[in-house]
Amino acid sequence: MALAPDNLQGTLVLLILKTLTRGPNHGFGIALHIQTVSDSALRVEEGSLYPALHRLERDKLVAAEWKVTENSRRARYYKLTPAGHKWLAAAEENWTALAKGVNKVLRFA
Amino acid sequence: MKSVRNWWRRKRSFTNELHEEISFHLDMRAQRNRESGMAGREAVQAAHRHFGNTTLIQEDMRRMHTNTFLESLVQDLRYAARGFVRSPVFTLTAVFAAALGIGASTAVFSVVDRILFRSLPYSQADHLVSVGMASPLDRNEFLFPEAYVPWRAYQKPFQAITSWTAGVAACDLSEINPVRLDCAKVEANFLPTFGITPFLGRNFTAAEDRPNAPRVAMLSYGLWQTRFGRNPNLVGKQIRLDGQPFTITGILPPSFEMPTLNHADLLIPQALSDTERNGRALRVFARLKDGVTLEQAEAAMQPLFQQSLKSVPAPFRNEMRLRIRSLRDRQIQDARLASWVLLAAVAAVLLIACANIANLLLARSLNRQREMAVRTALGAGRLRLIRQIITESLLLSVIGGIAGCAVASVLLRTFVGIAPDGIPRLAQAALDTRVLLVTFVGSLVCGLFFGLAPALQTPRAESLAGWRTTGTRRLLLRETLVAAQLAASLVLLTGAGMLLRSLWNLENISMGIETEHVVTAEFVLGKQAYSKPEQQLAFFEQLEPRLRQLGYLGPIALSDSLPPSGPSRSRPLAAIHVDGRPPLAEGSGGMVTWRFVTPGYFPTLGIPILHGRGFVEEDRASNENFVILSQSLAAKLFAHDDPLGKRIRTESPATVIGIARDVNIGDHTEPEYYVLRKHILDATFSNQMPPNGWRRASIAIRTPLNPKETSGWIRREVASIDPVLPVTIATMQERVSGLTQRPRFIAILLSLFAGMGILLAAIGIYGVMAFLVGQRAQEIGVRMALGATPAVIGKLILARAALWTLAGATIGLAGSLLATRTLGTLLFNVPPNDPATLAAATTLLLLISLGAAWIPSRKAASVDPMVALRHD
Repeated sequence: MALAPDNLQGTLVLLILKTLTRGPNHGFGIALHIQTVSDSALRVEEGSLYPALHRLERDKLVAAEWKVTENSRRARYYKLTPAGHKWLAAAEENWTALAKGVNKVLRFA
Repeated sequence: MKSVRNWWRRKRSFTNELHEEISFHLDMRAQRNRESGMAGREAVQAAHRHFGNTTLIQEDMRRMHTNTFLESLVQDLRYAARGFVRSPVFTLTAVFAAALGIGASTAVFSVVDRILFRSLPYSQADHLVSVGMASPLDRNEFLFPEAYVPWRAYQKPFQAITSWTAGVAACDLSEINPVRLDCAKVEANFLPTFGITPFLGRNFTAAEDRPNAPRVAMLSYGLWQTRFGRNPNLVGKQIRLDGQPFTITGILPPSFEMPTLNHADLLIPQALSDTERNGRALRVFARLKDGVTLEQAEAAMQPLFQQSLKSVPAPFRNEMRLRIRSLRDRQIQDARLASWVLLAAVAAVLLIACANIANLLLARSLNRQREMAVRTALGAGRLRLIRQIITESLLLSVIGGIAGCAVASVLLRTFVGIAPDGIPRLAQAALDTRVLLVTFVGSLVCGLFFGLAPALQTPRAESLAGWRTTGTRRLLLRETLVAAQLAASLVLLTGAGMLLRSLWNLENISMGIETEHVVTAEFVLGKQAYSKPEQQLAFFEQLEPRLRQLGYLGPIALSDSLPPSGPSRSRPLAAIHVDGRPPLAEGSGGMVTWRFVTPGYFPTLGIPILHGRGFVEEDRASNENFVILSQSLAAKLFAHDDPLGKRIRTESPATVIGIARDVNIGDHTEPEYYVLRKHILDATFSNQMPPNGWRRASIAIRTPLNPKETSGWIRREVASIDPVLPVTIATMQERVSGLTQRPRFIAILLSLFAGMGILLAAIGIYGVMAFLVGQRAQEIGVRMALGATPAVIGKLILARAALWTLAGATIGLAGSLLATRTLGTLLFNVPPNDPATLAAATTLLLLISLGAAWIPSRKAASVDPMVALRHD
């Protein structure tokens, strides 16, 4: 059940992976980042965040390791793998194309 | 073990990590919340609320990593096993039913498979046929050389045709340790026709298969192994057979068997000359050309057959027909019908067992409704639950299958122990890979079958609310299953009943001889030492006085054959001429058995002379020939005339001096006549063709002594004349019961299966009724509180059981009427749809079924209304 880059369900995945391009991060950090960057327009459903992260890990798009945070707690950090980078590139392209398409339709109607 | 521990440790640490990851998240969120001004406790709660159900999410995460098929299967299996351990009565009953059904089927299949299905050890065995003339003389088709030679030359429908000389002959390996072996004489193209290549060495050449060619032989693998220690240099060496040197050309493969299933240690060329007329019978086998059917082959061979009929003595001609049948039919003879009947019977037992287990599972699933509903409410998917239930029933069927294999091995050993001779390939029957594979697949199919019903009824979460109200539909299904079991049991019961009745009929036919206190001995004089009639007569002349020395034992008879079994001589009725009467039309009247006897034959076997007189000693010195006719033969030859004093011509002209009562053999009476053995080499004696002549003979002695002593004494007397002559001793009663061995075997097996079926069905109806009582305890309580007496309640339950029993019995009766029709030739003197058997079987079924229902009905009647109403 590997993810295909043109899967719309992959929106959350897209956001996660994009966030990770800034460097390794833990789940809470990812959620926080998405929320902040989107001006709270996108609120990550935390219930789906972690299963999604683990699925990405299973599909080898991200890799995870335990690290110690600034305030010296153990946290699970995720980082993009080369496959993740590739997947992200394809997905971004798809997303842009889709957004363009949808925009055109919206404008036309 | 170490890997299991590692796996466990990894699993544990993984769970901890999931937990840690989530609590990190929650702590961070709570900290944020506090930073934005929430109170400590509220901040934590808000974090939790925001996050959602941690257990469920952890479960989701875990599934991302661990939910492989195998792991969830292991999980399901462990769960199922725990469930089984918790309800041992259920588990034991189900495993018992499965083991019985699967075990019986496996045992029967292992026997029947060899007979009906398993491929024969020849290449393209379905092309192989047995070809020849069928006659009443021999139940198997044969050809004389004068017919075979032109058939071989001009036949069209076969790729190849080959023959061997009927009957393996004893031959002696005359070396340092002489041993008697079985030699089969075969044609040079015998092995190639069957697609067999020697294990070592080579087949005979055509040049070696000619009269007076240098002698060669091929050894069976078994003989090579046991006698020659698998010596690889044996090929090309010489051995001595019956004093003659034979060169070994090859060793047969281990899988080799004669197409007629005879045992053979050696193959030697039959050296048939194209002009041979010595009367030896050949067994002819051929390989059909591709696409040629048996019917086409038979049509194609008709002209040759008609041509060959001319060489058959006139009186026999109308008794002959052309027969071409598949090699398998030739091998299994008449075992086909019995095999199918047994297979169908165990299939019925298996179905009953499956229905039984399905029933048990349904009852269990109703008890587990609450558990299932809770699991559904907790988020278990419907498919997941169905899978769980299927896994449980498969586990059950596999356990049942394993127990079934144990049952099968016991049953198989029993079958082989009680089986009569002549069931083809019984000795080879074993629980080998093929049989076990079929059993395994069979168990899985059964598991799916009986797991399906409960699986499709997995409850929804809603039933958690009203969980006590469901169940009527399910009960209907369960009662239908019980009715089906009863129906199948009734079919088995009637089948077994009819076979038993047929057996009883067979055993109670009056043979027309007095079988008590008669000991018989059979022997065949060796071919080497007794090839001439003079030598044979000399042996008998020595034997008779020795036997009579101990004449106080009682009357003694010497004959070439004895009723009721074993080979005997016969000739067509048309070949008996009565002086002063026109000869009978050819082919009218069938065959007549005749025996070559001493005067003691009639008193020994207790056959009364109805008219005229028996033979006396003086007749044996007379120049006259005398003959005694059986009642039925006299009626055929003379109708209403008095036969006494009339002359008939058989082997030689003879005067009829007496009429003996008929002897019944099996289920029919064969007309017979008796020719007197003389002390001289008369025409009858010397007319018999070599090589057989009068070498086969039987002794019968009527004596009050115990058979063991008598047999020891007979052996001693025979040995004093010829120490190496093997003698087979049997009491007349043993020989007579041999006739019914096969029907008895089948009847016993079918009765066994019917017993299993009815036992399972009884458990089934007991289970359903007991369950019904449990279900309706409250209702019964109410009824009792309102004044119903225990008797009324008991009747209520029994009526329900009776309803379904009657339904099952009705279907079963209809099924029996259809099924017992197929028994056909297995039945003797049993009317079709025998009403007595049907009635008896139905009564038995009703009794057992109501008996099984009676126990729960008693329980229902003893329900305490107070307890029942307080329940829940």
